[in-house]
Amino acid sequence: MDFKPTYQPPGLPRKILGLVCKPDLLEEIEGDLWEHYQILCEERPQWKAKLGYWFHTFHFLRPFAIKGIGQHSNSIIMYKSYFKFAMRHMWRQKMHTGFNLIGLILAFVVCTFIFLHLRSELSYDNFHDHSEDIYRVAWMNENPQTRTPHPMAQAMATDFPEVQAAVSLSPIYGPGLTRQTIQITNEENNIALEEPDGFFADSTFFDVFSFEFLEGNAKTALKEPNGIVMAKSMANRYFPDESPIGKRLSFGPNTNMLEVVGVVEDVPENAHFHFNFIISYVTLKSFNFNDPWMSWADFGHFNYIKVQHGSDVAALDNKIPEWILTYLDWTGGSRESLLDRSIGFELQPIESIHLHSNIRWELESNSSFTYLLIYGISGLFILLISIINFVNLTTARSAERLKEVGVKKTLGAYKSQLLGQFVFESLLSAYLALAISFGLVYLLELPFNELVTGRVHAQDLWQAKTLLFLISVATVTGLLAAIYPALYLNALNPGQILKGMNPKKLGGSFIRNGLLGIQFIAAIIMISGSLIIKNQITFLKNKDLGFRQDNLVIVDLEDFENKSELVKAAFSQFSGVSDVAAVSNVPGGQFNQHKIYLESDQTNQVDASEMFIDDDAARVLGLELASGRFLNQEFAQDSSGLSFLINEEAAQAFGVEDPIGAVMFWVDNENLVKGTIVGVVKNFHFKSLHVPIQPLIMMISPRNFNYIITNVNAQNLTATIPQMQASFTEIYPEDQFDYRFLDTEISELYHEESRTLKLTSVLTAISIFLSIAGLIGIVSIAIKQRVKEIGIRKILGASIRQILWLVNLRYLIVSGIAMLVAIPVSYIFMNQWLENFTYQQGINPMLFVISALLLAALILATISLISIKAVKSSPADALRHE
Amino acid sequence: MKGTQLGEFEELVLLIVGVLYPDAYGLSIREEIINQTKRKVAIGAVHSALSRLQDKGFLESKLDEATHERGGRRKRLFAITVLGKRALEKNHELRNNLFNQIPELALKGLNLSGL
Repeated sequence: MDFKPTYQPPGLPRKILGLVCKPDLLEEIEGDLWEHYQILCEERPQWKAKLGYWFHTFHFLRPFAIKGIGQHSNSIIMYKSYFKFAMRHMWRQKMHTGFNLIGLILAFVVCTFIFLHLRSELSYDNFHDHSEDIYRVAWMNENPQTRTPHPMAQAMATDFPEVQAAVSLSPIYGPGLTRQTIQITNEENNIALEEPDGFFADSTFFDVFSFEFLEGNAKTALKEPNGIVMAKSMANRYFPDESPIGKRLSFGPNTNMLEVVGVVEDVPENAHFHFNFIISYVTLKSFNFNDPWMSWADFGHFNYIKVQHGSDVAALDNKIPEWILTYLDWTGGSRESLLDRSIGFELQPIESIHLHSNIRWELESNSSFTYLLIYGISGLFILLISIINFVNLTTARSAERLKEVGVKKTLGAYKSQLLGQFVFESLLSAYLALAISFGLVYLLELPFNELVTGRVHAQDLWQAKTLLFLISVATVTGLLAAIYPALYLNALNPGQILKGMNPKKLGGSFIRNGLLGIQFIAAIIMISGSLIIKNQITFLKNKDLGFRQDNLVIVDLEDFENKSELVKAAFSQFSGVSDVAAVSNVPGGQFNQHKIYLESDQTNQVDASEMFIDDDAARVLGLELASGRFLNQEFAQDSSGLSFLINEEAAQAFGVEDPIGAVMFWVDNENLVKGTIVGVVKNFHFKSLHVPIQPLIMMISPRNFNYIITNVNAQNLTATIPQMQASFTEIYPEDQFDYRFLDTEISELYHEESRTLKLTSVLTAISIFLSIAGLIGIVSIAIKQRVKEIGIRKILGASIRQILWLVNLRYLIVSGIAMLVAIPVSYIFMNQWLENFTYQQGINPMLFVISALLLAALILATISLISIKAVKSSPADALRHE
Repeated sequence: MKGTQLGEFEELVLLIVGVLYPDAYGLSIREEIINQTKRKVAIGAVHSALSRLQDKGFLESKLDEATHERGGRRKRLFAITVLGKRALEKNHELRNNLFNQIPELALKGLNLSGL
């Protein structure tokens, strides 16, 4: 008849069917499915037909068709009955089941979140091809920084055979080295937006980093001047419906300067820097070829290298000092320090930057490995606590199943079958909890991310590694809980069980109390740890920084034109403004640094951060003098920037008794500025408390002013801010009025600490809750088993208080032992954490006393509450039942 | 005994096997069920019922020739056995019997209250 070709059904389901189906049924089943698929293909689109084929194939995964088991096979019936037993058992003991499940669910949810968070934090920058071979060159002196000279990258690529590719890049900096947003305009479509995250980069950018090109050519993209490569999301903003390649964009005031040469995928979240657009360095060089910023002398660029796979990076690192001195004309002290390796360049693996690098000029604020460790350990503790709860409750309850085991054994159940039943039951609970916790993760995704400002995505649950992790956690939990009752009950002689055994003699309480102790240890560590974190953070927040922070409004001067005097004059007229000053940098921000040295001792060169201020700044910031005088605009020498204020730290570094009046040099790149020290200010924390106070030099230099600091009256802020905005816009009609408060800026510096505090508080609360829940479970079972004992004691004249003591004592001893173990552990671990801080609040022993008392009180209250009913009830009731 | 009981879906399949004789096999039975009862059933469900009916001895089967549209696979043709015929008759009889015993009043009342 007709021999038209048949449609070939998808192969995978057929293979699966072939594997599991009974061989004598396989042919007819496959035949029917095949024939049905032909019909489906005639009637429906192919994907629907395929879906139908899958659907029907899976409908054959029924007992009748599967190898090895039939409808009435033993194993099916057995598992059915296990299931029935498990369900009945869970149902009968609603409270226990509830405790078990809630504990497990909580722990699984916490674990999932922490696991996902850790995974995302640990995955930074691993998306590049051979990311393990990419390094950033950092400059490690007394005050390490990420930035190194621009020519260094390409010189390394030329001079070292093991360097396969190198790129130099820099964010587009505005005045004061703040990251600047640039107005980019598509003149044709009349789209003008302020774009942040613009970078300059070498044409080799895409040789080092792997960003997928959607349009354009990675090899040539950044070779020509005025080329711009955009991230996809930015390209969509400017060219919503057309291909941007070859189109022109305006860069600030430069009309149609840029030509779009490439569009790349957006930078993934887990990158240590994100760009919106990249402009070739050659563009910049075509403007000003001899920009000193591009020279070897300026450590002002981010240099990345990619080495040949398998190169010895340590050896390469060690070659740099000698090599770089052929380019750098350094002499004297710094040359020697470089050669004896006391300062030098470090190759930072790109994957470790996010967690391990926290030096000056990081491209984005990085996270810290210590915090991940804290999260991880807290997560493990919670998991541990809830596994122990589960194990303890299951084993304690196994006493109630003694008869069941006895009857089953007499009826001929094998040991392995009983074991199977226990394992089946506890795995059932564990998986049930896991399934519910998956749902909760979806519900809690948003609150969790808000709480810890994280970027956890609930759908990452379905990644193979995450699933594998969670399922193994659940499996281990289930197995652990099953092992003890299974082995213990199995070992008993059925005759003895059925004759009647005192469940109290069952034993296992030693192990249970031991596990309870471990829970307490974890809980105490969590409580005291979070108290220590809280103390340290409060300490940081309350520490006197040496300058005023309250009621100071910072306004950005966006322009190179110096109109700071105009702005100051305008602002000072408002009634809500009490004082105004102009500065180059704001405390808590980034500071540029250069060398300073005294004329009298030219070998002692000190790296000093610099801050340009006007003569009002010291007053507005509330700085205090140690000796000498503040700067004064009236003096010609001061206003021309030849009078220096230094801080005590700098004075100490010079080692001079009285530096006032001393002649000092300030090495401003190519310029050597010779001036006089007129005053020493008391040390103040112009950087975050994570780092010690460093030498600082201050002088007047109006062209460097970037911010106006305004001391405002807190009461009429709502009136003052709009006034300020109005006059600002009058002076700078082109610019946007940006303002922020100094105290919020400063508290932002401790953002990571605040987040850790929040998270550890939540985790501690959960761990306390879980420990107490576990305690309730165990004690309520123990009380039930001791009802008769309590009754007899009461008859013999024991008072309620004595009985309560009796019940409590054991657990108080357990918690006492737990404290002895937990306190040293917590002390050692938290001391290590505190070492991250330059300024630390020591560990107050009272904290441990508080944690211990807190826990003891909780334990007492819990036990007393649940035992009070049994203790108060009439002994006659207790003794009547037999 | 449980083994000789005829379930509702089993009865349906058994009847359809009779209707389709001599060309009753998995897929054709399913088609017929869908056509006659508008019930959506999976092929697997039909096969499962067939295998149960065969276990109970209500059906017998033999393998047919291989055909092209089945990717060269043979189909299994089913036919009702004597036992199957008896079971069907028994069910049929039982139903009719029971139906006839319903007093007319009961149905009338239903109709009335239904109005």
